[in-house]
Amino acid sequence: MSLTKSIRYNFMKDIGAPAVMGFAKAGKKKRRRKPNPNFGPPLKCANRLKEIMTRHYFLSRYAEGARPVAWVTSGAPVELLRPFDFYTIYPENHGALCGAQRLGPELCSVAEEHGYNQDLCSYARIDIGHFLSGKTPVGKLPRPDILFASNNICQTVAYWYKVLAHQLKIPFLLFDTPYNFEEITENDITYMVSQLEEMIPILEEVSGKRFNNQRFEQIMLLARDSSFTWGEVLATMKTEPAPMTIFDAFIHLAPIVSLRGLPVALDYYQTLLDELRERIDRGIGAIKNERKRLMWDNIAIWYKVRDFSNLFAEHGMNFVTATYTNAWAETISNMDTDKPLESMARTYSLVVLNNNLNHRLGLMERLIKEYKVDGLVIHSAKSCKPYSVGQYDLKRLLMDRLGVPSVVIDADITDFRAYSEEQTRTRLEAFFEGMED
Amino acid sequence: MTRREYLSKQKEMGRNLIGVFPAYYPKEILWAFNAVPAEIWDPPLEIAGANAHLQPYICSVAKLGLELILQGKGDILDGLLFPHTCDSIQNLASIVYDYLGLNKPCYFFYHPKAPYRNSSRTYYLEQLRSFVSRLEKDMGPLDGGELKHRVEQGHHLAAILREIYDLRSQGDFSASNAEFYRVIRQGEYLHPDDFIPLLEGFLGRSKGGDGKGSAVILSGILANPPEILGLLDDLGVRVANDDLLNCGRRLLMEPGRMEDPFEALTANYFAMPPCTTKDSPLDERVNDLLKKIEKSSTKGVIFYMVKFCEPELFDVPQMVAAVKTAGVATLIIDVDLNQGLSGQLTTRVEAFVEMIS
Repeated sequence: MSLTKSIRYNFMKDIGAPAVMGFAKAGKKKRRRKPNPNFGPPLKCANRLKEIMTRHYFLSRYAEGARPVAWVTSGAPVELLRPFDFYTIYPENHGALCGAQRLGPELCSVAEEHGYNQDLCSYARIDIGHFLSGKTPVGKLPRPDILFASNNICQTVAYWYKVLAHQLKIPFLLFDTPYNFEEITENDITYMVSQLEEMIPILEEVSGKRFNNQRFEQIMLLARDSSFTWGEVLATMKTEPAPMTIFDAFIHLAPIVSLRGLPVALDYYQTLLDELRERIDRGIGAIKNERKRLMWDNIAIWYKVRDFSNLFAEHGMNFVTATYTNAWAETISNMDTDKPLESMARTYSLVVLNNNLNHRLGLMERLIKEYKVDGLVIHSAKSCKPYSVGQYDLKRLLMDRLGVPSVVIDADITDFRAYSEEQTRTRLEAFFEGMED
Repeated sequence: MTRREYLSKQKEMGRNLIGVFPAYYPKEILWAFNAVPAEIWDPPLEIAGANAHLQPYICSVAKLGLELILQGKGDILDGLLFPHTCDSIQNLASIVYDYLGLNKPCYFFYHPKAPYRNSSRTYYLEQLRSFVSRLEKDMGPLDGGELKHRVEQGHHLAAILREIYDLRSQGDFSASNAEFYRVIRQGEYLHPDDFIPLLEGFLGRSKGGDGKGSAVILSGILANPPEILGLLDDLGVRVANDDLLNCGRRLLMEPGRMEDPFEALTANYFAMPPCTTKDSPLDERVNDLLKKIEKSSTKGVIFYMVKFCEPELFDVPQMVAAVKTAGVATLIIDVDLNQGLSGQLTTRVEAFVEMIS
């Protein structure tokens, strides 16, 4: 690491970033958006979230050379990296950001021009497109010193990170989590624990720091508490009317994905939880007329979050739960500092996408009952095969078992070239009609 | 004898038939249980029912495999084995096992993904033992001596295949492309007691013949439709080697010589050519392909993709770039299986051959 870059990074962290963000805030003209009559008052925490994520990406510009930098997948056990002081960048989060700003096709096209097929995951194409062109809405992403992925969410991340490792000539650590076709076995756990142990010397070498077990345990506790609190945030939506929508949750999950194991994530979710509880006490709903409660399956359609939010609110329908947002809360109870690596293996390998479809069906049934769900919207995401393959059967089974009506939307997470507004509207209109029967 | 007739005969002989989805699995263990693995890559079916379970963006390997089950064409099978190959086959396995209510056992085999460390070897070894325990529940106890015999037989089989591939690579093997892959692909369902004599006969007949001419390498999943091979024959082009998942990429290069059959099988797995479905680093794949090119004086590589095959499509740009840098021409084709040889595809291949000739 460079001393000059470290001094510059610390200056920006302590003085530069607060000053720049303060100026930006003061200089920003307050544009009053006309309130949408279908919604309750907006969440106050949204501004704090924006500050946190802006600061994270702003500081990342100065991290290169000052701190070891890791690019990490959303399901990787990042707790192992934090004791080495890695600055972590989440390309999936960056992809979602690009998607929300409707930059998906532009960045995907760069990757496609270099031979990456349009049928590949669009998060990966955005990331490769960014890598090849340097284009990003966040200014600049730091070049990584190491790549850290887990295939607990998909095999795609491994193919994708192998491309980056090949281009950048840097180490790639894969946390291989055997898929639970049936039940997780002791052999699986032993394998995963061994992998984590084998990674420590590599991380020491890349970061130039020794592993500190005490610090690791503190980080585990922070990560566990953050995930627990995120779970409580989601659980507030069991209340009728729900104090937030799943579209809010899609946005507010950024810290649990990108900043897990850092104090800022826990602080943020405690503040958000307090606000939501206050809204519950005061009977404030996210939408004013919550007549129907819905569940979302799969990753968000990032370029349609606002449109869908408005459309469903117009119909008095609120999304109150999602298999996607739940993923960062559902297995955290396994985290145990008495058995740190073993518990991490369980926490990360038991997530919904690393589990068989029977498990997913059971989870969806539970969520439908607990959140009093009336209907289900299934996003069949071209980018995400492990999330999407099996959805047709899930749709049928949930209708048979619980009588829950559903609709499938064919789309993509960020590449709106794979989305048909007309087809989606037609399907949703039929769904809205069916929900009123 | 057709594949179906052969498998029926095997069943009459008292052997269990296990339908195996792509791609890597310890076939020697199945042989030792007196079972015949019948691999399911591209059954000649029209996709109909599978579309009710799988989205349009899922590859035709997964769809055809499911179609085989839905149409009852796999009723002759005593069980199904799903190796963990990719996200689509992973979830397909779960659909079949969890939702279709089949009245036959489903087996799963998870193999460790690279980069390989000591833990990967230990895990693979234990996975083999777990697989045996699972099979024993349905097929009775494993005879250790029989396993050892089948591992050795697997090594013998691999040695013949290596010799055939080496001769072909050097232009000293006279079989046409169509004949070559027709024979090699019979290993997808023949018992080794039958496949070894077949290969030995093939080797004897074709060794030393005139197999010169322009050479290409096929990289991808599998050569379907087989007419593509006939087209290359007609154009006077020899497929000198391949990096196909169903063929050359499963060719055992350095057999494990350990006394313990489980350890030998573990060594075998890690000695196979690099593969994207095992998450092999790209450098390894590129180097493997470049070595094949060098060894066979190949002038062109055809990347023959199955549409929507994510593992393969991620590697292609780097492999194409490396091949081009080596001064070798490339052609990328992506197809749905069983769609026949279109006029457009024929024209593209003809133009490519003209370029390298």
